[in-house]
Amino acid sequence: MGIISLEKSNHLYWLGRYSERAFTTIRTFMDAYDTMLDQDPNAYKHICEKLHIPDVYGSKEVFIINYLFDETDPNSVYSNLSRACDNASVMRDMISSTALGYIQLALDVMEDAKRETFCLLHLQQVLDDLYAFWGSIDDYVESSACRNIMKTGRYIERLDLYIRLDYDRKAMELAYERMAYRLQRSSAAYNEQDFKIVSDAINNNKGGNLCSILPNLNNIFKD
Amino acid sequence: MQDLIKYTDNINKLLARFGVKFGIYKNNVFHEQLFPFDAIPRVITAKEFDEMEKGLVQRVTALNMFLYDIYHEQKIIKDKIIPEEFVFSSKGYLPECAGVTPPGKVYSHISGIDLVQAQDKKWYILEDNLRIPSGASYPLIARKLCRIASPRTYACNAIVDNRNYGTMLSNVMNNVNTGGINVILTPGRYNAAFFEHAYLAEMTHSVLAMPSDLYVENCQVYYRAMDKPQRVGAIYRRISDEYLDPLTFLPESLIGVPNLMAAYRAGNVAILNTPGNGVADDKGIYYFVPAMIKYYLGEDSITHNAPTYLMYYQKDRDYALANFDKLVFKDVSEAGGYGVFFGRDLDSKKKADFIDLMKAEPRRFIAQEIIDFIDLPIMDNGQEVLRKADLRAFVLSGNETKVWPSGLTRFSRNPDSFVVNSSQGGGFKDTWVLSR
Repeated sequence: MGIISLEKSNHLYWLGRYSERAFTTIRTFMDAYDTMLDQDPNAYKHICEKLHIPDVYGSKEVFIINYLFDETDPNSVYSNLSRACDNASVMRDMISSTALGYIQLALDVMEDAKRETFCLLHLQQVLDDLYAFWGSIDDYVESSACRNIMKTGRYIERLDLYIRLDYDRKAMELAYERMAYRLQRSSAAYNEQDFKIVSDAINNNKGGNLCSILPNLNNIFKD
Repeated sequence: MQDLIKYTDNINKLLARFGVKFGIYKNNVFHEQLFPFDAIPRVITAKEFDEMEKGLVQRVTALNMFLYDIYHEQKIIKDKIIPEEFVFSSKGYLPECAGVTPPGKVYSHISGIDLVQAQDKKWYILEDNLRIPSGASYPLIARKLCRIASPRTYACNAIVDNRNYGTMLSNVMNNVNTGGINVILTPGRYNAAFFEHAYLAEMTHSVLAMPSDLYVENCQVYYRAMDKPQRVGAIYRRISDEYLDPLTFLPESLIGVPNLMAAYRAGNVAILNTPGNGVADDKGIYYFVPAMIKYYLGEDSITHNAPTYLMYYQKDRDYALANFDKLVFKDVSEAGGYGVFFGRDLDSKKKADFIDLMKAEPRRFIAQEIIDFIDLPIMDNGQEVLRKADLRAFVLSGNETKVWPSGLTRFSRNPDSFVVNSSQGGGFKDTWVLSR
């Protein structure tokens, strides 16, 4: 069924955002974890700073566990995946049980990792499940509007994180192009003024910090 | 079958992966839990199913005729087959539905009939569920996963394919659709049966709608689609009658659609199942179903009711008091396995209190002979053990009435319990109907 209500478009958008947030923050975590092994034990502090999340962890050991698994921490990977799963659950009729199953699988891996001795292979499995989720969206979701709204959310989130994490200009441009492409095909209402500010900032970016456009970026989609 | 059983854990993992859960509120907090699946199926032969189907079709046909009659001429009351006060005192009777004829004159589109099989292999009807019976989605998805886990099982046994439930349900909706899209109306994410609502929307290619997605304008129901409003022709609602429309029923309902009943009364939308069906699946009215079949169809009932006594009748009450410890008592206003207790389990104080209550509110209680229904094998920690199980058969009424060749077999995981409800810790099985 391709008929989308405003409420559903909101769920689709946030499903895209939360699944991407889980995906990119896991990749960021894996890099930081590697650095903390034998180079900089405080690498996690830089992540907190860049992502604008409070450093409530105190040590790398606590960060490793709580940032990944603490369901009471709204910034944890687990919380973000749970929110993705909540949004996916109410969209089963549009995204299919198959696609929903991959988000659930990712969450189940996190549950297993929490119970067992955590290792990076668990996170690799979560990334694989999220890749499979997006692949199944392309295959199973009939409505292009539905796919485009989800992907708008996905790339807005990606661009947001890339800006915060100081990714290189090329990566940001690519995320922006994908976001713009999806947004314009989504049939969703959006704030043109905010979109223009973001477009101008990305297109004229000479490599400076773009955090000032984050409010505009997060205001593009009318949810 | 052994090949299938060895994959029980894998199947349960797949069920978890696809979010096959039910919700439960404990101390006002919502929890979702998995519905444990046992791979040993209940098996019903073709001959047995054929007989069951005839009986269920007859029963649901009569119940639909009863509903039409009660909300129109009330001939069955005038002819003194059912006492008037018994109908009008039912919580399920809705005066707001009097005189309204639903599209196609179908009231109970999806009927969930609970049966048990006694030791002599005879099937007994325990209750009729004509409002919003749930549970079809569980065997439906389980079958799909079982076929993946053990294809050989399905190649070697003549099992009727049950994966057509979505098509059957969709046909039932299309049959009464007044022009517009089909929607499945859910109260929301935190409803006990939310998985089922979402899964059936997927299987029927309907739109899953939250109450706020729908509105009524000029007596027509619309879905708030992003581009333009879509007219709604049929609503398979999974919201209880009293919450459906705050302008007709409970004004405090936040999950209703204002003016929905006006659109329904005007014949502009079909509501499945029709509001007001509760009068026919009342545990007290159950007593009269065989008489109803005789009255409307001129036939003897093919299905068997469990021997039932109405506390409303002095003679029945005297019998129940004389045989208290042999009977099971049910509060007609309760559902989901609640309000059911065995006479033998009450101490003298509780027994005396209950008898006082029963005398004060005789319409509220029925008593039934305890049917020693057969145990079915289940796997428990690698051991095969026997447990009590019932069957919910799904009867779908569209342009004709059909029984889905499957059903939800629920079992008690507690060796001493007859209560099989999922809300009370039970599990479920697939139900195989054989083609031979």
